[in-house]
Amino acid sequence: MTEEKNWHTHRDAKNARLASASSLLNGKFAKTKDVVEVLNALIKPGDKVVLEGDNQKQASFLSEALTKVDPERVHDLHMIMSSISRPEHLDIFDLGIASKMDFSFAGPQSTRVSQMIADGTMTVGDIHTYLELFGRLFIDLIPNVVLVAADKVDHEGNLYTGFNTEETPTIVEAAAFHDGIVIVQANEVVDKLPRVDIPSDWVDIVIPADKPYQLEPLFTRDPQAITELQILMGMMAIKGIYAKHHVQTLNHGVGFNTSAIELLLPTYGEQLGLKGKICRNWELNPTPTLIPAIESGWVQSVHSFGGEVGMEKYIAARPDIFFVGKDGTMRSNRALGQVAGQYALDMFVGSTLQIDQWGNSSTVTNGRLSGFGGAPNMGSNPTGRRHSTPAWQSLKPDDDPLAKGQKLVVQMVETFGSNKKPVFVDHLDAEKVRKEAKLANVPIMIYSEDTTHIVTEEGIAYLYKTDSMEEKKAAIEAIAGVTPVGLRSNPKEVKRLREKGIVALPEDLGVRREDAKRSLLAAQTMDDLVEWSHGLYNPPAKFRSWS
Amino acid sequence: MRSLWLFPGQGGQHAGMLDQVNQQLKEQVEKWTNVKLVDTADAYQDSVQIQLSILLLQIDQVDRLQKLDWNPTLVAGHSLGVFAAAYAAKVISKEDVFKLVALRAKLMQECYPEGYGMGVVVGLSRSEVKKLVAQVHSETNPVYISNQNSEMQNTVSGKISAIEEMLELAKENGASKAKLLHVPNPSHSPLMQKAADQLNAFISTLDLHKPSCIYLANYNGHAVKNLEDITYDLGNNLIYPVLWETMMQVALEYQPTSSCEFSPGTAFTKLLKAKTDQLNIVTLSTMLVDDADYLFNKWEKNND
Repeated sequence: MTEEKNWHTHRDAKNARLASASSLLNGKFAKTKDVVEVLNALIKPGDKVVLEGDNQKQASFLSEALTKVDPERVHDLHMIMSSISRPEHLDIFDLGIASKMDFSFAGPQSTRVSQMIADGTMTVGDIHTYLELFGRLFIDLIPNVVLVAADKVDHEGNLYTGFNTEETPTIVEAAAFHDGIVIVQANEVVDKLPRVDIPSDWVDIVIPADKPYQLEPLFTRDPQAITELQILMGMMAIKGIYAKHHVQTLNHGVGFNTSAIELLLPTYGEQLGLKGKICRNWELNPTPTLIPAIESGWVQSVHSFGGEVGMEKYIAARPDIFFVGKDGTMRSNRALGQVAGQYALDMFVGSTLQIDQWGNSSTVTNGRLSGFGGAPNMGSNPTGRRHSTPAWQSLKPDDDPLAKGQKLVVQMVETFGSNKKPVFVDHLDAEKVRKEAKLANVPIMIYSEDTTHIVTEEGIAYLYKTDSMEEKKAAIEAIAGVTPVGLRSNPKEVKRLREKGIVALPEDLGVRREDAKRSLLAAQTMDDLVEWSHGLYNPPAKFRSWS
Repeated sequence: MRSLWLFPGQGGQHAGMLDQVNQQLKEQVEKWTNVKLVDTADAYQDSVQIQLSILLLQIDQVDRLQKLDWNPTLVAGHSLGVFAAAYAAKVISKEDVFKLVALRAKLMQECYPEGYGMGVVVGLSRSEVKKLVAQVHSETNPVYISNQNSEMQNTVSGKISAIEEMLELAKENGASKAKLLHVPNPSHSPLMQKAADQLNAFISTLDLHKPSCIYLANYNGHAVKNLEDITYDLGNNLIYPVLWETMMQVALEYQPTSSCEFSPGTAFTKLLKAKTDQLNIVTLSTMLVDDADYLFNKWEKNND
């Protein structure tokens, strides 16, 4: 008889690693000062390591420690990160500690990422959408070690992650149930947690951090910076898309365009008699510019991917609206939020840096391999859906009894960007970037086939109504202003497209340019938002004005 | 506090700019280089006077700040500025840096007595300028794309006749500004190869040291931390475009909390302000080192 096969080699390896670090551990707890030694002992060359860099929350104590490990002992790590945000996330590549990266978003480090790929310091597995990255943690990118951040930990090792839970439970689950090692940095050790977000059973090591994890207020938009052009586009979108398609469930991107819409609902939306008919249920980070719409009764519910600095007290006081634990603090969840975005929402509205002649869009430009945040998942049309909502049904072609509806995916852009470069281009920079970085796929953020509407200051193109690629291109040209793409548009064709309802100019929608005034915004300053919130919203320092 | 120190190159020199510098240091420099520094508008027609005077101004400011215990996290020099940047990063000694720049200025002066220079194009992207340069450039009428000052502001270097032709073309193609610069040589282009070779020969005799901070290299726009890359940049930045825009993007990705532009001028702070509002800003041409010290102390306290 042959010797019996060992079916628990992973567990044995994990136990051996933990045993080798036992002198540094008291139960699950290690000392703050020993963090580098703990990492030296527990991480092995070639390991797949998830370092928690979320959209907002960063495991900054652990990422700084990782730059100090001994590259002789710890090298060639395969990093898996949803967001490359901090300089040390790349310093570990300079130092030879890591060599491969799978990621979703690299906006804050996009130039260095491009350079490192070009000079071979980093090889890229894939640039994923969030759900592809999270999904693959359970399939073929199962982590050996995960390094995550918690707000509070109790003496058992239970974790409270609160507002900023984001993807922490998803990352921890992938490791905890496949013999990966879960290492947590904690802001604070307490006797009793407000609530348990992650049970201690899933946690191997806890290290109290020297300072709280880094947290960015990413979704705060100062109403002061909203322009009248954005207000005009917001009015067109509300009338020509939100009302037309009876959009009840939705997600907004992070731009000023969508902030403008949030602030127009209680004023312009009210005038149009749309309250209660549109924008009721949201998948959205708790953006402060939604406060006036909530306070005036537009919003029934908001589920969030992550938290937002300064919104804590306001959320605690509005548990009917937000997802709040018994303890009174919100719980966010990026993985479930992204799923909801794909399968539960009528509409996604976002913005981009470039749109090509066919309607593909991307925020990757020359020299900057930024990857994408939530947009590629939120801005896609899952083809297996079957919804009965008015919005989904309204995009169903009439002439086919088996036809499906479609999710609304709307891009809102001004025809020229802030750098005076045209947004509408014949070819995306992303095509060139694919060649330079030797990527398998062109880094397109939202594909043409998923994009149902484009809104510019010129008008709206209803792309889902077009019959051919030629017609789609003409519809895009019609609203592309004086960009090279827009200059190809001819008046006869635009007239035909307007008659067919494929293109709508402001006058076709009954929106008057002269009505697009800042006074139409429900809040014009951060102070106004604080007032709407009854003093519960506490803007982060950089958004406070002292004048 | 994470501080980004910026060192401009030629362009901002003006009569009387050396009024406040340490006189002992100035005399020392004159001895090391055998050049009398005159600090008049007339003298600043001369490239050796310009380069040594700007360097002196910057080194004096670095000395004063470092004496007060301020040190950079990141240094970025534009063209001539790389030398004070390397000095601030403790790569090169004071005596060596002045001798090196004296040689650089002389070599630059000698290699193209007339007929060559630089131009600037505003309002076109780098790839657009590249295309136009390719239409004009030939072996006998050479012009190259050179410095990338910001996304929509690039320079070209070469023979004046070729530059003028290229600038005309740029205007026809929508440039908002296209003009010749008062620079008497085709800096930051392959035409400077001979000067670079001689400079490298001298650099190879110097005793250079590992940098104490991150150095942003002109020639490839990377953040470098090893001596080899810095040595290469000091000797060869003359034959490469200064990739300033890329250098600044990379610098900002290191998330500095303050920036400090050394004299003369404030041009690079203005470019930086167009990219970010997250920095505390000092410009030494508009304030005393003591004022900078006060501000740094204040910001450091606020950050803690």
